[in-house]
Amino acid sequence: MEYSQAQPAGRTSSPSRQIERHATALDYASLVKASRRLDPAATSQKLRIALLADAATQQLVPLLRTLFHQEGIDAQVYEGPFDGIRLEALDADSGLYRFQPEFVVILNSVQALRAAFGRRSGNAEAFLENTARDMTAVWDAIQSRCPATILQSNFVAPYERHFGNFDQKVAASFSSVVAALNGRIRDAAGGRSAVLVNDVEAVASWIGRRDWFDDRFWDAAKSFCALEHLPAVARNIVEMAMASRGRVMKCVVLDLDNTLWGGVIGDDGVDGIVLNAHGDGEGFYRFQSFLRELRRRGILLAVCSKNEMSNALAPFERHPDMLLRREDITVFVANWKDKAENIRAIRDTLNIGFDSMVFLDDNPFERNLVRGVLPEVIVPELPEDPADYVRAVSELNLFETTSFSAEDLQRADLYRAEAERREAAAAYGSAEEFLRSLDMRMVVARFDPYHLPRIAQLIQRSNQFNLTTHRYTEAECEALMKNEAVLPLYAKLSDRLGDHGLIGVIVLEPAGDELVIRDWLMSCRVLARGVEQQLMNLVVEHARERGLARIRGEYIRTAKNQMVQDFFAGFGFTRAAGDADHSHWLLDAAAYRPRETFILHAAEMATAA
Amino acid sequence: MADTWQHMQHVFRDIFDDEALDLQPETTAAGVEGWDSLTHIDLIVALEREFKIKFTTAEVTRLKNVGELAALIDKKLPVRP
Repeated sequence: MEYSQAQPAGRTSSPSRQIERHATALDYASLVKASRRLDPAATSQKLRIALLADAATQQLVPLLRTLFHQEGIDAQVYEGPFDGIRLEALDADSGLYRFQPEFVVILNSVQALRAAFGRRSGNAEAFLENTARDMTAVWDAIQSRCPATILQSNFVAPYERHFGNFDQKVAASFSSVVAALNGRIRDAAGGRSAVLVNDVEAVASWIGRRDWFDDRFWDAAKSFCALEHLPAVARNIVEMAMASRGRVMKCVVLDLDNTLWGGVIGDDGVDGIVLNAHGDGEGFYRFQSFLRELRRRGILLAVCSKNEMSNALAPFERHPDMLLRREDITVFVANWKDKAENIRAIRDTLNIGFDSMVFLDDNPFERNLVRGVLPEVIVPELPEDPADYVRAVSELNLFETTSFSAEDLQRADLYRAEAERREAAAAYGSAEEFLRSLDMRMVVARFDPYHLPRIAQLIQRSNQFNLTTHRYTEAECEALMKNEAVLPLYAKLSDRLGDHGLIGVIVLEPAGDELVIRDWLMSCRVLARGVEQQLMNLVVEHARERGLARIRGEYIRTAKNQMVQDFFAGFGFTRAAGDADHSHWLLDAAAYRPRETFILHAAEMATAA
Repeated sequence: MADTWQHMQHVFRDIFDDEALDLQPETTAAGVEGWDSLTHIDLIVALEREFKIKFTTAEVTRLKNVGELAALIDKKLPVRP
């Protein structure tokens, strides 16, 4: 099993990496040419990706390698034999499994489906059932033999309509069968965290089927689509893989004047700004609606405006057509400082990485300033016409993710509760008094199926408080859960102001007379609460109960985890080996003195391992 | 014709990543390193883009040598006044 060592020192992607995603940068010939000059030394991560398809994959390889390289990743690509999806998946000794991929791309073409549909012996319904069954059987086979994440394409809608519009009313029509199959793929993948749907149909329909297909090259070489559009397929795959590796956007920072409404609030007043559900202010209204949906799915919204605070707040409080309300905005900054400085302050409040922030501002000056000062922040161009804002931002596919949990929905509330806690803390004389007043409760338990999505998500997202940064996928977490030789634990915390949810993951493994801490990561939301002290107490207690003499810790430096470089030293571990980049630490279990915390009801650690 | 030849040479050098590639009318796929069925598609697409023409599937699959290809391109180019 290979785990990616994510979060490299110095991700090599350029400041404008998101801008490069634009269609103009996706020229087939240029990407192929670039693939011949890739310098693996310029990358900081490796990735193994396998391609299984019923179309030609050779043309996809240079595109993937170039696009991954732009993300700082040296991609090794395995190509299964042509039309060998089932063959490779069902044979335990196939090249696919020997390759040990982190990702398996399964690309099914509607061209091959059309040919199979034409050859069907039974009725269309049987064809549909058999095809759907074959696809899930392939997933089952792969999932049972390797921990890879599967990126299964759906089918591009065909252009022919044998019944015309009446196709829609005939379940046996080819277009209906394709639509039904896409529904099956969606439903079946929904129940499997290891299977992600590569929505090629969305990519193709955006471009348009008339341009998408070039049947000459299907006939001559089984090309998946017109070559000029193949980069869009590759890009989609790369974006899914990047999200799977933890690159997700967490916060959108918004300008106000001419971004959320037309006009300047300080000059025009609440009654004078352009914002309405119909007409010339509808573009802004639609944009707010789009942002509100993002907030609903767990993306934090922040405001960064050059305004007097009272003016900036006025539309949120009084404008009848404002869709975004003050409570939708997690951090609200309005002053006359430069925007880069303000974004830095927003980042510090939220404790997230600059590379998980998107800044949207209609003003090119502000955009360029932020790009220059904070190159990691994603700063898309906004079109001149606000009517095009939603389309322009959507086209960049910035909000790719690989999981969605109940906690995503609560995230904005969690952060707001955190702001309240800070206020409360300020009201208490000492930190101790404050912590005691919080009435914190923690639950620590072995991984279970219910919590797997959130566990995997935390593992993908935690950069700062993360000692080894092994980016386990949900499938790998499931494997850990079932592995009796290890003790994979999660920790949940709540207090009187709210529920923090699942905030920590520790993977322990007994080896000889040692208890090895393979992974230890925590959400930065709960720092300075005594959580890590409480957890270390439990870890040591566990070692003692099992008669293990020592605890072994490991620290692997990344670009972002300096915060925990002295973690083990702080608990009295001594460095046994290694250097500042990668070190091993040992603690004598008998000599450890439990740390005092104010976490009241820590549940007993689960048994096993 | 000479003009066509020059443009073709440019496209071939680009696709096969070989600035020294010297096209001859009798040059065939077998005579150029890396000219396989897939590079052939890349080549056809690049030529279509360069000359703003379109080949049929039959032409794509049956072209025998570079001379034949040049003649075909010339035939497809709009007649200049």
